[in-house]
Amino acid sequence: MAFLTLERVSKEFGTFTAVRDVNLTIDKGEFVSLLGPSGCGKTTTLQMIAGLVEPTQGRISLDGHDITHEKPNRRGLGVVFQSYALFPHMTVAQNVAFGLEMRRVPQAERTERVREALSLVQLSSFADRYPRQLSGGQRQRVAIARALVIAPPVLLLDEPLSNLDAKLREEMQFELRRIQRKVGTTTIMVTHDQAEALSISDRVVVMEDGRMTQVDAPYRLYEQPSNTFISSFVGKTNLLAGTWRRSGAEIGGVLLEASAPEIAAGTPVTLSIRPEKLLLRDAGAGRLDGRVASRFFLGSQWLFTVETSLGTMTVTIPNQGEEPPAEGSPVSLDWSPANLRVIADTAAAA
Amino acid sequence: MQKNGPVALIFHVLVLTFVLAPLVIICLVAFTPENTLSLPTTGLSLRWFEAVFAHPDFMASFWNSIWLATFSATLAVAFAVPAGLAISRYTFPGRDFLNALFLSPLIIPHLVLGVAFLRLFALIGATGSFAWLVATHTIIVTPYVLRLVLAALSGLDRSAEQAARTLGAGEWTTFRRITAPMILPGITGGWLLAFINSFDELTMSIFVTSPATVTLPVRMYMYATESIDPMMAAVSALMIAITAAAMLVLDRAFGLDRILVGQR
Ligand SMILES: Nc1ncnc2c1ncn2[C@@H]1O[C@H](COP(=O)(O)OP(=O)(O)O)[C@@H](O)[C@H]1O
Ligand SMILES: [Mg+2]
Repeated sequence: MAFLTLERVSKEFGTFTAVRDVNLTIDKGEFVSLLGPSGCGKTTTLQMIAGLVEPTQGRISLDGHDITHEKPNRRGLGVVFQSYALFPHMTVAQNVAFGLEMRRVPQAERTERVREALSLVQLSSFADRYPRQLSGGQRQRVAIARALVIAPPVLLLDEPLSNLDAKLREEMQFELRRIQRKVGTTTIMVTHDQAEALSISDRVVVMEDGRMTQVDAPYRLYEQPSNTFISSFVGKTNLLAGTWRRSGAEIGGVLLEASAPEIAAGTPVTLSIRPEKLLLRDAGAGRLDGRVASRFFLGSQWLFTVETSLGTMTVTIPNQGEEPPAEGSPVSLDWSPANLRVIADTAAAA
Repeated sequence: MQKNGPVALIFHVLVLTFVLAPLVIICLVAFTPENTLSLPTTGLSLRWFEAVFAHPDFMASFWNSIWLATFSATLAVAFAVPAGLAISRYTFPGRDFLNALFLSPLIIPHLVLGVAFLRLFALIGATGSFAWLVATHTIIVTPYVLRLVLAALSGLDRSAEQAARTLGAGEWTTFRRITAPMILPGITGGWLLAFINSFDELTMSIFVTSPATVTLPVRMYMYATESIDPMMAAVSALMIAITAAAMLVLDRAFGLDRILVGQR
């Protein structure tokens, strides 16, 4: 059931359109990520839902009510800001209690709910500290506790993990997911980190230049990107430009077998194949011959670049405990045609 | 911070000596037991301080100045905070004009302001009123508060206010609970700076005070034109002490360099 709906929502700043015609439906309890490069309008979209930025056009509704022009303090949504936005002059407990105070929750109940919220984010012993006495990860958890304690219908997170170092970020990703599962709050998270979006969301919304270009489950987004931008932004890929023929794509005079139902012959297309979907075979044994240009050992995998007649291809193979082909050796690339993704060229199609 | 070379160091010491020497000397003279302005060579005495405290005119002027500075600094805060919020947060027609208007008393010579107010008071029959004196001081000290409030607002993280809004606070509650406490250092610093400036002001006050509202600097000026005795030194020492105490509080609380140089 649609819980939060954005219908044709746009935001213009003067003559500049930051968000264009966004349609999005989110179900109760879902964890949705807004993914896109910096400046594509993610924060603006989130702030329109929060009520901090007024849409130029369109309608936002929550649980059947139109909230497009509702003030932020009347929406009751939980927001975690990129900078955490903790109140520097209040202790952790006072920060978390603020929303309850605004709701005139009685003192005894307030204390109890603050205690619960802090234990949820594992900060019980930090209640009397000031924000400046906390580390980045702890501040972030205070911000989450402060947003969750008011039991909001929707939790909005703006790049909540971007200020943390890599290791902490990974821990906090699991932590976020754990908390969200436990509380069951409908959550929208903004991020520019594709790995983060893929790993913790139920669905990912990709934004480019203020537009929503694909909304899908992480696995489908990765396997079936709808355009070349998404295929290279979400994970790594090899892109080959060519022309569509009836049974495959013609690339540099070679016909590569692939399937794509709705493309007319002669249409320019781009083929996308993920590095892990390419297999390394002995020279002559695969579909495309080449030579190993470089080889990097990544621990659990090997990363190869292979020079072929169609260009340089990136290949990753799992580390099976045997030494793979050395730099300079002739090899052949193979793949299953089902793993070749055919993307009609949008620029040419339009 | 960059280290000073020996030449720069000597230069700084000379400048400091030049600035501080008169203050040190006047403070020493205040303790003289003699009847003339002289350094205390034969011993130290508090007789001139006693003379000040026993002098009804000086005491009246002292309290007059204290109240004047308190009222005008407080009123200046009451004007500068809303004005600062409006100037830093909204674009509206006349915004630059408003900003310039609030800061203009910094540029106009106090002598000119004094003459202008004197004429104005004569016209509206307000001569001699303490309330009108407060009004003139408020005008000249407001720019100091405004500058500090603007600096504090420009360094403020707006997302804390937005967070308060999303947590259910209305605009006024957000100001009272979040914005005001966060810019409090700027407001307090501005108040103290305004207080000091009002307390020290002479040029304009000469024109706008009446016999009933003579401020301490004006009283000293009037006294000094008639007679020079060590009592003047004692009053000066007291004024220096009060100003220095206020500066010390300012520095301890917010850092003087931050306030005087501005945070931007
Ligand atoms: N208040 C504003 N005034 C003018 N332009 C803005 C404003 N806020 C954002 N923008 C512009 O809108 C675009 C999208 O911004 P934002 O939503 O913050 O992007 P993201 O969060 O995806 O990095 C950017 O080009 C930004 O410069
Ligand atoms: Mg952003």
